[in-house]
Amino acid sequence: MTDREALLKKISTYQFAVLDMQIYLDTHPGDAETLESIGVFKRKLAPLVEQYEKKYGPLTKNANEGNNWRWIKAPWPWECEEDA
Amino acid sequence: MFSYQKKLQYPINIKTPNPKLAKVIISQYGGPDGELGASLRYLSQRFTMPTPELKGTLTDIGTEELNHLEMIGAIVYQLTRNLSIDEIKAGGFDDYFVDHTTGIYPQAAGGSPWTAAYIQSKGDPITDLHEDMAAEQKARTTYDNILRLCDDYDVRDAIRFLREREVVHYQRFGENLRLLTDKLNEKNFYAFNPSFDKKCFDKGE
Repeated sequence: MTDREALLKKISTYQFAVLDMQIYLDTHPGDAETLESIGVFKRKLAPLVEQYEKKYGPLTKNANEGNNWRWIKAPWPWECEEDA
Repeated sequence: MFSYQKKLQYPINIKTPNPKLAKVIISQYGGPDGELGASLRYLSQRFTMPTPELKGTLTDIGTEELNHLEMIGAIVYQLTRNLSIDEIKAGGFDDYFVDHTTGIYPQAAGGSPWTAAYIQSKGDPITDLHEDMAAEQKARTTYDNILRLCDDYDVRDAIRFLREREVVHYQRFGENLRLLTDKLNEKNFYAFNPSFDKKCFDKGE
């Protein structure tokens, strides 16, 4: 696993925890404890996304900064990094 | 509206191409119990749903299924990359290859193209929820069958993640069915269609 993939996996882990709890909240909207846990994970997630996008390029089109359209740069999510 | 993140929900890094396995796994792309049908089923059914919980659940699970569709596409793509013609023939991939080369096409393992006949959007939330719970179990069985046919660790790891999500989604749909029936006539859940006979239903909003 490359450094990029390792960081992306960390991001995915926190994102997944948030998503799983959000879908749980759809049927348990009054569960304040879960809402609070989502906040904790989101706070851990934000600096990782920032670090990733600075180093490897935008995860969303809107995060593209500077005078270079880095959005289309390889690798795309389905590509193996060693093939690129 | 939808927006795209340039990443998979769960990472996929397959080291060894395997066209034979790709032909089986493509069923979860465009087969009868696959992720394309799952996402279109939920994202279509949600429009007429009567409760806030159901509108949220179908929107969010339907969207998650699109992540899973992308993951299956990535698995099939990586399993069929850099193949030689000899490997294609030896892997029994020639019948897929003749129509699609190594393009990703929504079809069942047996070759039938994806069809909207795989899904229903009935406009009755009790009926739709029973279809949704059955769909999650059918997808879970398909993933169990894929795990029986597959000994590649990289593929199994991702398939196990997807299988687990079927179990969780089934749970969420079951909760929605209970929440819905709690709001209906307890002596006869089927007296009315809560999406169509709107005056007979307390929306609880």
